[in-house]
Amino acid sequence: MTAPEKQVFPGPVLNHHSGKLLIGTRYWPTEIWRRPWSLPRYRAGALWLVGIILGIAAIGFGIGELAVWGEKILVWLGRCGLPAPAVAWVWVLIKLCCVIGVIVANGLWAVWWERKISAHIQSRMGPMYAGGFHGWAQTIFDTIKLLLKEDVTPAAADQAMHLLAPIVAIAPCIIAFAPVLFGNELAAAKLDMGVLYIFAFASISVIGVVMAGWASGNKYSLLGGLRAAAQIVSYELPRGFSIVPVLMFAGSLDLAVIDRAQAGYWMGCIPRWFVFYPVVGQIAFLFFLIASVAETNRTPFDIPEAESELVAGFHTEFSGMKWSMFFLMEYGYVLLSSFLLAVFFLGGGASPLPWLVGIPSWIWMLSKAMLMMFVFLWFRWTFPRLRVDQLMDFNWKFLLPWSFANIGLAGVLVYLHLRGWGLR
Amino acid sequence: MNPLAGADAVARLLAAVPKAEIASSPVKDYPTIRLAAPADLLLAARLLKGDLGFMYLEMVTAVDWLGPVNLGGFVCGGNSNPLSRKPAAPPVSPVPGPGVSYRPMLDLLWSFGNLGENRKIFLRLELPRDRAEVPSLTSLFAAADWQEREAFDLFGIRFTGHPNLIKILTPDFLQGHPLRKDYVHAKDRYDEE
Amino acid sequence: MKSEALIVTGPGLEMDTMFVNLGPQHPSTHGVLRLGLTLAGEVITKAFPDIGYLHRGTEKLMEARNYHQCVILTDRWDYCSAMPNNLAFCLSAEKLMAVAIPPRAQALRVIMCELNRIASHLIFLGTYGIDIGAFTPFLYAFREREMILDLYEKCCGARLTYNYIRLGGVAADIDSDWVAKCREFLEYFKPRLDEYDTLLSFNPIFLARTQEVGLIPKEAAVGWGLSGPNLRGSGVSYDVRKSEPYCGYEAYDFDVPVGTHGSCWDRYFCRVQEMRQSVRILEAALTKLPSGELMAKGLAKVPRPPAGEAYAHVEASRGDLGIYLVSDGGVAPYRIHVRAPCFINLAILQEILIGKKVADVIAVLGSFDIVLGEVDR
Repeated sequence: MTAPEKQVFPGPVLNHHSGKLLIGTRYWPTEIWRRPWSLPRYRAGALWLVGIILGIAAIGFGIGELAVWGEKILVWLGRCGLPAPAVAWVWVLIKLCCVIGVIVANGLWAVWWERKISAHIQSRMGPMYAGGFHGWAQTIFDTIKLLLKEDVTPAAADQAMHLLAPIVAIAPCIIAFAPVLFGNELAAAKLDMGVLYIFAFASISVIGVVMAGWASGNKYSLLGGLRAAAQIVSYELPRGFSIVPVLMFAGSLDLAVIDRAQAGYWMGCIPRWFVFYPVVGQIAFLFFLIASVAETNRTPFDIPEAESELVAGFHTEFSGMKWSMFFLMEYGYVLLSSFLLAVFFLGGGASPLPWLVGIPSWIWMLSKAMLMMFVFLWFRWTFPRLRVDQLMDFNWKFLLPWSFANIGLAGVLVYLHLRGWGLR
Repeated sequence: MNPLAGADAVARLLAAVPKAEIASSPVKDYPTIRLAAPADLLLAARLLKGDLGFMYLEMVTAVDWLGPVNLGGFVCGGNSNPLSRKPAAPPVSPVPGPGVSYRPMLDLLWSFGNLGENRKIFLRLELPRDRAEVPSLTSLFAAADWQEREAFDLFGIRFTGHPNLIKILTPDFLQGHPLRKDYVHAKDRYDEE
Repeated sequence: MKSEALIVTGPGLEMDTMFVNLGPQHPSTHGVLRLGLTLAGEVITKAFPDIGYLHRGTEKLMEARNYHQCVILTDRWDYCSAMPNNLAFCLSAEKLMAVAIPPRAQALRVIMCELNRIASHLIFLGTYGIDIGAFTPFLYAFREREMILDLYEKCCGARLTYNYIRLGGVAADIDSDWVAKCREFLEYFKPRLDEYDTLLSFNPIFLARTQEVGLIPKEAAVGWGLSGPNLRGSGVSYDVRKSEPYCGYEAYDFDVPVGTHGSCWDRYFCRVQEMRQSVRILEAALTKLPSGELMAKGLAKVPRPPAGEAYAHVEASRGDLGIYLVSDGGVAPYRIHVRAPCFINLAILQEILIGKKVADVIAVLGSFDIVLGEVDR
């Protein structure tokens, strides 16, 4: 015996003119809440989610395997009879294209991912139509739209500065990606002082942001630019100091060395990642994460572009590609921070479990970075926004002193290690 | 709180304010007192706020008793169906009900509340339309600020002593005071042709 | 009031101020409010709220419409909670006409108004979250509100401007299916309120942004004539449903939540608690829903209330909504004055914004929960 079908409330919605079904079943959330797994869509959604994660892993695998071809291309270039400097130039050009490709592809991917994640956090679906499957082509079409959009420069704006601002903002972001590790030893440039290099270039972008705020000729933009300057410059400090313990443990500024220092396991199962170093590691990880969120102007630290206060902050008066440069920069820095978090604290390309070492390092690196990126997005759609003075208080009165204390703790740990009582 | 603010608040007010009387047309179910002259208002308000505990200025408004506006086809008496065969209803003519007399006067109304004891008292004051001027209550009740500005904007009542008596709801270019019964809209740039 | 502005005085030290025009087109002025702010750095030294961009003159329009047509106009004041508007107008006219409302109609009025209070406070909760920078509660709040709107749609066919409460009663009846659905909603809604508390109300960042901001002492709140949750947030327990019960509110058991020191958070949390009280009222009202007529007998098709004046006020979602109605015995009201709670609540803004930061303007403004349709009428 089957139960009589439940009357759906308030019933399907039909188009008045064509009689076409617009909304089939308007589920009340009460019905979903009771037995979610009985709904076929819910089960299908869970399957898709698993599929997406596996797909990302597969893509990472593919990209990583292609990287091996790099050396072969270099050898082939040398055989073609080109002079040595030309080979070097072409080689740099190829690597540059790869890095820019990463940033642009990341922009497309991260915007789509953020929209999907925010949608699912907020019990919606997000983009569903463009391209077919879950609106995968949405950001591609958005980019086309942005490229075709009229580029408006306000009459009150400083024309040259207005043009220059997005360039000044995006260029350091691309440059900073040079030494970033995408897997063990997989970087566009091998630099001894890679950490310093990244930090130095990443902090130049704020000039572009301030220029944008100033050049727009808009008071909201100006406020946003000033806030950005104050915030980013302040959070540089705890961000830098929070990784000093990592540098002390690894004994190098080279990202590859830091990556290698975390290989291996304690007791055969706990990975020797810096985040697992007692107390020091966790504090440093949290501080670096918080400071990175602040550096990338994302909620709860998104005061430079707080839309409920400053409309859109420093990029209020930008449109088309100029505007998307700022977004490319924002997501570029999110990706950069994610990779740095993965390298500094999550073991880089090291596998989390001893019996998974066969999986290539770029998969681990990418999945750790994506996990961290998810944390960034998760923050954004959960927390409210801090106020300017609270933000500064938090930085100067909490993060900075405690990151100093953390360095001291790290010193104790290193001392114990040198005396032979250490962890290794 | 103040024990006097109960039933004999009206009596206290009547005793303290010269020539004040119980209004002949009260606001239904509430004690309503009619003041005789604008000068009495501040006296009454001070007494209400200070001694009687009526700290809450609930409402400031006015009625223009010039006569009803032209109902201009919006309101039909009986049959309003254009397809009906019955003859169209005659236009509604303004006939004042019993006890209503149309006169060129503005009837101002203040409502004070005593939140602690749950009392309400209404003051009213009749002013000629062309010389509508009363003292402002902003010095006693902050709530009077915008409500007096509203009455100024819509009725053209001047509240002397108001710190910032400017238009509040209608646009700057609007001529006249819309809630006066003889208000005629002058065409401006936003009107359709 | 404590000022956060650091004013340095002396020759050659005059601070340059900046005038910022907040609105009428701005993401968080909740409509078309314009605030002229004079800033010293990020601190406000002068605030000038400018309203009237949505002024439609409903008070004047009503003077040329009959009473049934007026009810339709009342929907347009506070469009986020239109039922209490209908109710306030009908109560004032019924007072003049001395009509006895059937008990079922009374109960339905209570049910609809309380549902609308929940819906309206949900909008507040969501938009206030957005003002503070939390986007997610907005969508949750609207998910719940959607269910209330579905209930309204099922009952009276409209989702926003209901025109449901009419002179002498209500327009449409509810059936047992509706009651079951309403109960289902309430059962679903109660745990959601706890979720909002964990997500937003007690979020440390949210607390830091709102708890010490926009303090309104008791005296100032009464003096500026605030009403509704804004007044109760300052610790004044004044609720028209308790002080002058209408529609049989005296028969329902509910508390009036009050805040402690009148901060933005107190006003916010008053509303959250009011939703719980509304749920209580709704449960009681659905349990003892009397049967019977929906409309009072003997009302003329075109009502002509006897000449006189009446004042009726209800506890609308945003405060004490009063209607002062003057009739000269004609088909149209001779004069209607609306004591619009949002309009009067907004006036205090020019005082309490002084010394606040730009970010606090949004927090304070949002906590008043204004609807410009009612501010400008």
